[in-house]
Amino acid sequence: MSRNGPLALGFHTVVVVFMMAPLVVVCLVAFTPENTLSLPTSGFSLRWFRAVFERADFIQAFYNSLILAFTAASLATLIAVPAALAISRYAFPGRNFFSALFLSPIIIPHLVLGVAMLRLFALMGVNGSFTWLMLAHVVIITPYVLRLVLAAAIGIDRSAEQAAESLGAGRFTLFRLVTLPMILPGVAGGWLLAFINSFDEVTLSIFVSSPATQTLPVRMYVYATESIDPMMAAVSALVIALTAATMIVLDRVYGLDRVLVGKH
Amino acid sequence: MAFLQLNALSKRYGAVDAVVATDLAVEKGEFVSLLGPSGCGKTTTLQMIAGFVDVSGGQILLDGRDITHAKPASRGLGVVFQSYALFPHMSVRDNVAFGLKMRKVPAVEIASKVKQVLELVRLAPHAERYPRELSGGQRQRVALARALVIEPPVLLLDEPLSNLDANLREEMQFEIRRIQCTVGITTLMVTHDQAEALSISDRVVVMQAGRVTQIDVPYKLYEHPRTRFISDFVGKANMLAGDYDALGTPQVRHEGGDGELTLSLRPEKIQLVDAGTGRVQGKVLDRYFFGSQWLYRIHTSLGEITVVRSNDGSPPLGRGTAVGLQWHADLLRVLAADEVHP
Repeated sequence: MSRNGPLALGFHTVVVVFMMAPLVVVCLVAFTPENTLSLPTSGFSLRWFRAVFERADFIQAFYNSLILAFTAASLATLIAVPAALAISRYAFPGRNFFSALFLSPIIIPHLVLGVAMLRLFALMGVNGSFTWLMLAHVVIITPYVLRLVLAAAIGIDRSAEQAAESLGAGRFTLFRLVTLPMILPGVAGGWLLAFINSFDEVTLSIFVSSPATQTLPVRMYVYATESIDPMMAAVSALVIALTAATMIVLDRVYGLDRVLVGKH
Repeated sequence: MAFLQLNALSKRYGAVDAVVATDLAVEKGEFVSLLGPSGCGKTTTLQMIAGFVDVSGGQILLDGRDITHAKPASRGLGVVFQSYALFPHMSVRDNVAFGLKMRKVPAVEIASKVKQVLELVRLAPHAERYPRELSGGQRQRVALARALVIEPPVLLLDEPLSNLDANLREEMQFEIRRIQCTVGITTLMVTHDQAEALSISDRVVVMQAGRVTQIDVPYKLYEHPRTRFISDFVGKANMLAGDYDALGTPQVRHEGGDGELTLSLRPEKIQLVDAGTGRVQGKVLDRYFFGSQWLYRIHTSLGEITVVRSNDGSPPLGRGTAVGLQWHADLLRVLAADEVHP
């Protein structure tokens, strides 16, 4: 690989600093002993972290978000993989329509979707249902999985599938042993992106979640509208730490390059 | 009946005829090449035999059995692709074992068969590697081993060497032929490279615009090309206008002749002799060195003629040298007009 020149190195540094600085500041603020959002000057304290764990509503919201993101991302992947395979290899009537339909939730503002779904769910009498919240999330995160799986499906060598067929593989075996492993980086990357998007979602969730199904971002948002104290920073720091830990474990166990880029 | 037989096999894509009523009979153990320029339908023909492309008309018979509409999996043919088509997430061993696993062969037997075939293609030490860790030639051998291990009745090779560089390509040509002879497997190879087809095939099938235009053993094909196109596509050829003399033998056009024939004369069939002797006089326009031979472009009254002379170690003729050109009259070939226009 070619090494970066001084200009590129400088640019990369600026980008990384720009992206990381807010995270670093939030993490530092989380350790403040003060009652206001401020950088710790007089020493470090864990009082705001303790405060988080004493709040059952936050813990519950975190679990809600985790389960919601996991099920929604998995369901979105189950929908997106067959859809992407069909779109990438068959010319069927309505192919462009389906392709556009699957990607349209990216274009429509979540605010609009949120209001529309609130109304729809009210009509259906399913407001506050976890299942319907989850399905709403599936709608908005499926495009991410579809995009990545589509890219992977277009990129694979179709003759490898033909080879497997001529060697005697049936349709299901072919998918399980050849096609799926070849598009796995796209599937895994798409799932991860969908998970993060669902976990992160505020705008739509505000409209369609109830106190019982409140997600962590919604809980945080509601809390922040009432009071501003460093507990928010502590929650953020915990989420960042959890994300980083997940990434490290994933990298150690499986290799992030392999999951997201497709290197073996 | 031949082992593999195509009867009036056709493929039509919309309004385009990709393959038109192709007949072919391949005997057991034979190595046959489908040769032609890109878009001539040779790959489509191979894909119909493999079962990847639906047949529009005609029949494919394998050992007397009609496989025209059988699924690829049930045909049991060995296929080697231009892109190798190895499974990137499997080791060499698992790639080769794939077909046997699909056939539910016992593990012990799989291990011994894989070992055997990897030895045949000289890859035994690399069994645990992944495709990305292998060179192009090695990948091609894995693809070959994977196709051979299931002991298919027919081996289909789709441009197997076109992704390799020139040196390796020649080496792999001999390798493929060696393996084919060792196993004795009936083989059909698609190629656009005439040298490749001539060097390793028992018979060559020339295709042009979806039709078979000549089927012959390589030597006959080269010496007796039927049409102008074939003469030009297979090897190099000088095209000369000619006519029949009083005895009905073809001759190069002379004063008063009407030149209604197209004659082909291979460049290596022409001798360069002293100026003033020979059939026609010329002047060296240009010369090119190929190591084992010299290629001369010579200006004559018949037009520009290419002459290939093997390098016997003597110094070459300089540009502008006056020379005579001599050849045996019976080496002139009368060519039919092209009935197909690609």
